[in-house]
Amino acid sequence: MEQHSQTFIDNASEALGDTAKVQRRDLLGAFMPLVRDAAVEKFGKFEALRQHVKRIRQHSIDNLDHYLARFEEEALHNGNQLHFAADGDELNSIVLDICQQHGARRVAKGKSMVTEETGLNDFLQRANLDVKETDLGEYIIQQAGETPSHIVGPALHKSQAEIRELFLEKHDLGQRDLPEISDLVKEARVILREHFLQAEVGIIGSNALIAENGYSMLVTNEGNGDLCANLPKVLVICTTVDRILPRAEDATAMLRLLVRSATGQPQTCYTSFYSGPRREQDIDGPLETHIVLLDNKRTEIMDGNYREMLECIRCGACLNHCPIYTGVGGHAYGWVYPGPMGSVLTPLLTSLEQSTALPNACTSCGRCAEVCPAAIPLPDLLRDLRHDESRQQLTPVRWRKGLRLHAWLARQPRLYHFITGIGITIMQRLGRKKGGFRRLPLASGWTSQRDLPSPQGKTFMQQYRNGSGPGNE
Amino acid sequence: MARGRAMSNTARSQILARIRHASRRANAADIEQELSALGTAPAAPMPSADLCTAFLANVLANQGTAACAQNRSQAVKAVAAYVYEHYRSQRLVAGHDPRLAAMPWRDAGVLPRFGAAEDGDVVALSFARLGIAETGAIVTFTGRANPAANNLMPERHIVLIDSADLVMDMEAAWRRIGAEVEAAGRPRGINFIAGPSSTADIEAQLVHGAHGPTGWHVILTGAVPDTALSEARSLIGQ
Repeated sequence: MEQHSQTFIDNASEALGDTAKVQRRDLLGAFMPLVRDAAVEKFGKFEALRQHVKRIRQHSIDNLDHYLARFEEEALHNGNQLHFAADGDELNSIVLDICQQHGARRVAKGKSMVTEETGLNDFLQRANLDVKETDLGEYIIQQAGETPSHIVGPALHKSQAEIRELFLEKHDLGQRDLPEISDLVKEARVILREHFLQAEVGIIGSNALIAENGYSMLVTNEGNGDLCANLPKVLVICTTVDRILPRAEDATAMLRLLVRSATGQPQTCYTSFYSGPRREQDIDGPLETHIVLLDNKRTEIMDGNYREMLECIRCGACLNHCPIYTGVGGHAYGWVYPGPMGSVLTPLLTSLEQSTALPNACTSCGRCAEVCPAAIPLPDLLRDLRHDESRQQLTPVRWRKGLRLHAWLARQPRLYHFITGIGITIMQRLGRKKGGFRRLPLASGWTSQRDLPSPQGKTFMQQYRNGSGPGNE
Repeated sequence: MARGRAMSNTARSQILARIRHASRRANAADIEQELSALGTAPAAPMPSADLCTAFLANVLANQGTAACAQNRSQAVKAVAAYVYEHYRSQRLVAGHDPRLAAMPWRDAGVLPRFGAAEDGDVVALSFARLGIAETGAIVTFTGRANPAANNLMPERHIVLIDSADLVMDMEAAWRRIGAEVEAAGRPRGINFIAGPSSTADIEAQLVHGAHGPTGWHVILTGAVPDTALSEARSLIGQ
């Protein structure tokens, strides 16, 4: 997928100009945390569960050589063909090869962020394959020629009216009204059912790969992924090497965190475990199954300072709780993964040079780390990335010099207090008349949007020394 | 394909080498020991101390409907009543499950077509392997006894479950599944189903019947306390 992360500020300004979409995001930003909180509270021992799964995930990644070897052995024993792809291009070529071997023309695809990352749809379509996304949200944005704005609800940025217009334009079904959301769902169901029945190849992602038995876990509410996995003659599972967990019970322990954090449900409608092609006695199911394991820099991440990011379970809770994400929406981030998790992943999976704006799209409020079911310290990782930007001289020279000066000053407390004391006194005198400043040198970022109130007295440290600080009253 | 395979093999050895470099390279016995020392995950709290009531309450909370049947004759009548209520017909499809074939269908005046669901089948019947009280999910295995299409294609899915096959939580479910797999081999698919097919992809509004069934009806048979269903209903405020 083409990347536009560097224009984040412009993308964000543009997004904030669309009032209807801003309102919809505000609503989701209020609603999604509520359903998540209710589910977490009802569970009770959520923190204990979070820590347990964190230890399992760490253990799995620490011993990935062992568990990957075990998974490979079991998956091959189950009758799968296993493929490894170093990068997105390799994954795309492997999948196209499989489709062409079977003379496939139609592909039914379940939701997979990994294939968004590799741009698989475009690649297959350029080879004249009829690829249809079957998750309703993904189907809508595919029809609209857009990209996902959210990793769980990819089309939540679109209104019912927009989707109605889109269906009337794209589906050649004659005169009809489609007044309700349920009518839109029904129409997509009919169109996609036909595609499911005709598709020669089904492609799905995986929420976890289980080392002890070679099964792959698929979590959905619609059941579309299961239709992809069961109806076509060939099944391709596209996933990444870091999804491996030791045991089936570890996958369902993780599931408890995932669904509550993603949608506030205690359990998704369909949680399926697939082992391979149909068995001798079976009367349905794919005849051939492939698992494509993508690296695309995951092994680099594993060997570096951002290893914890591999523990992300793609629930979207950090997006729903982020004031920046809920303000500007997913498209502003300019690549596949938005929000706090995306601002860490994008620089790691593409390059820091192409995404320097993202680690700065953070207020360090810490809500993402608070709700992350994988207990990933996202604000710390974002700060470390900003540090990397500075070290690699990717931040503007003025910023770096300014920060260096500030860092030096902050390490000389006497001088710091002296200078801030003078500054506050001057500002107090200058601002006494109007009560605030409309313009200030070095602070145009603040004053371009609002006035800076003039200081009302001495600095905190001056008040503190005089014993008149708030704590001493 | 030769090119693809060669590419994949090079990628494989490179990826494995990098993973090995970044892993702890511990021996298998130590790894297994460390894993078992991590203990088990906490499960969700039970809505009721009674397994049947807890299971039924969660089935209802998952937007399913439920009924209880004391014996096999009542069970087939409950199936027939559900089909008649929704379609004024007696047509339904079921997998080649010996437990379903042995049901006294004559008592209810219906007989399923045994096989895989096809486009156009409106109701399918499954006999679940397990029910999980923690999540209100039923578990089926793909295969002749329950082709996957039967869970997914029809408009409505009826699931029979014997109260003896209810387990407390997902860990207990895996212990039971493990024992069955040991005896009969790994099924192609293991499906946990907890509710009708749903989507909230348009304006976060919940709609049933996204791709699979719009209705999901669970009939609990065997030794079930008389008050289980009414208690389950009051537990979730129905």
